[in-house]
Amino acid sequence: MRIGTLKESYVADAALFDSRTQKVWLAIAAALLALFPFMASDYWLYMACLVAINVASATGLNILTGYTGLVSLGQAAFMGLGAYTVAIVQAHWNTPFVLNLLAAGAVAMVGGVIVGIPSLRVKGLYLAIATIAASFIAHFLFANLAITGGTGGISMQPARVFGIDLDTSFRLYWLIVPVMVLMLLGAANLFRTRIGRAFIAIRDRDISAEVLGIPLLRYKLLSFGLSSFYAGVAGGLWAYFFRVVTPESFPLSMSIFFLAAIIVGGMGSILGSILGAAFMTMVPELLKLVFDLLPGGIELTVFLSPVRLVVFGALIIGFLVFEPLGLAEMWRRTRRFFHLWPFRN
Amino acid sequence: MDKTSTSIRRRQLMLGAAATAGAAALTHPLSVLAQGAEEIVIGGSIPMTGVFAFAGVGINAGIADYVKIVNDAGGIAGRKVRYVPEDTGYKVDVSVAAFKKITSQNKVNLYYGDSTGFSKTINPELERNGNILMAGASFATELNDPKKYPNQFLVGPDYTEMFGILLNHIAKEKPGAKVAFVYSDSEFGRDPIDESEALAKKLGLSVPVKIMTPAGSVDVSTEVIKLRRAAPDYTIFHGYILAPIPEFITQGKQQGMTSKWMGTFWTMDSSTVMKMGPDGDGFMGVMPFRYYYDTEKAPMLEKIRAMRPEYQSTAYLQGFLTAMLFLESAKRTLAAGQPLNGKNLKAALNSIKDFDTGGIIGTPITISGNSIPVGRVYRADMKAQKMVAVSDWIKL
Repeated sequence: MRIGTLKESYVADAALFDSRTQKVWLAIAAALLALFPFMASDYWLYMACLVAINVASATGLNILTGYTGLVSLGQAAFMGLGAYTVAIVQAHWNTPFVLNLLAAGAVAMVGGVIVGIPSLRVKGLYLAIATIAASFIAHFLFANLAITGGTGGISMQPARVFGIDLDTSFRLYWLIVPVMVLMLLGAANLFRTRIGRAFIAIRDRDISAEVLGIPLLRYKLLSFGLSSFYAGVAGGLWAYFFRVVTPESFPLSMSIFFLAAIIVGGMGSILGSILGAAFMTMVPELLKLVFDLLPGGIELTVFLSPVRLVVFGALIIGFLVFEPLGLAEMWRRTRRFFHLWPFRN
Repeated sequence: MDKTSTSIRRRQLMLGAAATAGAAALTHPLSVLAQGAEEIVIGGSIPMTGVFAFAGVGINAGIADYVKIVNDAGGIAGRKVRYVPEDTGYKVDVSVAAFKKITSQNKVNLYYGDSTGFSKTINPELERNGNILMAGASFATELNDPKKYPNQFLVGPDYTEMFGILLNHIAKEKPGAKVAFVYSDSEFGRDPIDESEALAKKLGLSVPVKIMTPAGSVDVSTEVIKLRRAAPDYTIFHGYILAPIPEFITQGKQQGMTSKWMGTFWTMDSSTVMKMGPDGDGFMGVMPFRYYYDTEKAPMLEKIRAMRPEYQSTAYLQGFLTAMLFLESAKRTLAAGQPLNGKNLKAALNSIKDFDTGGIIGTPITISGNSIPVGRVYRADMKAQKMVAVSDWIKL
């Protein structure tokens, strides 16, 4: 049972992890993440890497949509910019993967800032449409520029570290998951700074934020830039993970996937990005595992495949109806329950 | 012992059991423990849902039926064959997940992939793994390269070869004809265009116009006007399943066009062509396999018709033939006393010469590279609601 946390200084109050219990749980989570590759099969490692990439990208979108209140349907296009940057830079200059990933983030950031310009005039659905237009432009460029390899795209060599090719899920795990953790820590810290708080002020009421002395132009574009940086790095990881980048790799439906992930997970919450991306990636696979347990063989698999999609859709609708604040809120409620457990709260 | 401690112990036992089961599922998911040592396993990333489900369901049934026929006859060299499909929704990341899952749980020898994107993505993994021979739903020209894709093959001609078959037929039927290409702005659509234009010129044909449309386009009136101005004798559509082909044909006919209309494999299933309605009468296209209802002598088709009295799609026949070629390769590898791995299976596949497919393909086939460059031109007879052969089998 935990009844409260005593804070004796402002530093303690502003700390990212404010209690010993939290730190212990984080240490356990870190240990589990480090041990996971040695226990899991190739399939689970693949899924873990995919979840990590999606978490990184969803976190970026949450900075923009969840924290700053700017709806974007261009996240997949920014991931595409990152993925193509990595593929092109690696093919032409064979630079180290760290540089390539930073370049991916930087290029996507520039793209994000450009796409973000309309956000100064339009909001809500209008902005979403503007970002869709940007993703169509990006798709056109990917499919038609000579440097992007046209519709056939680019096949890549694996990332190399100390002479070791990162060509298996096990090896890539050690690249993707630490990068994701760094990005999560970065995002969590962002909202302890003036910049993050400015984003939240803009989300809550942009006119009031401006009155408070927050320059909307700078901060909205910064939010787009940061969000796209995250998408770009996630796209770069995606490129190293799949090693084939084509214009069809980043469809509009992928942007909708990320928007759904942060809505289901919880907008304006880092934990929401993690839970939402994990939910959207893993639940279809877990449903497959559950449906596989049913007797009936291949004929039943054919029949049940569409049913599985219906169940997945129903789960999303269920969350929206019964828990509009997302999985993160469910998590918080569960945690609150255990703070006072075994006493009734 | 009191009641409380019993219940705590029971709970601990249950938690322990659940943790053990979870760990087992994580490391060796589910069915792995049940696999027999002497089985031949065909894995499959099959699109049973999503935009390609119309084909995936047929492909799945085709593979499953051939596996059943082989198992009923005693298997391959005494080994039973097991088919393990997984739905992919026609998404590359889900297809790769299916591959990882199936290969984690089973010792897979042969694999069916559902798209060009998947074939390209999984290729490094196939080379690294070295134990699997793969084919799939893609006929992409890029995959028809044994050096770049040593452990894969195409069950039929690649898209450029499909165009080659059509252009050869046109050159024979109307030398010097004008041929228009209408294709979608996608990897699938653009695939054969440049090489086929060069081939058309080589065959003495001309290509007065190439029209690229967005992949899901519906309103094509401006494109039809452009096509009418070029006045082609033949128009070949590629990169679509159905839409916007009927729109092109209907508007083209209304505007007095006399072009003959043609398509490639994924448009050519009987049920797809019949959806074009009366305007689709005479629609032609390339088909590497016989149709389910063909009346020419084909013992394997008779077997299929006995198993499934209702119409089966060309996707079914593609899946069926894939399984047949997979298992023929396995049979030859085992007969040579070699282990079943990607290299040996591919070598066995490439040893197939003048092979009788039981009439699925109406001529003996030889697979020297990564494709089977054979096909035939069929034409839609809307009155009979059937596709009718208008050429003999054309080998490139």
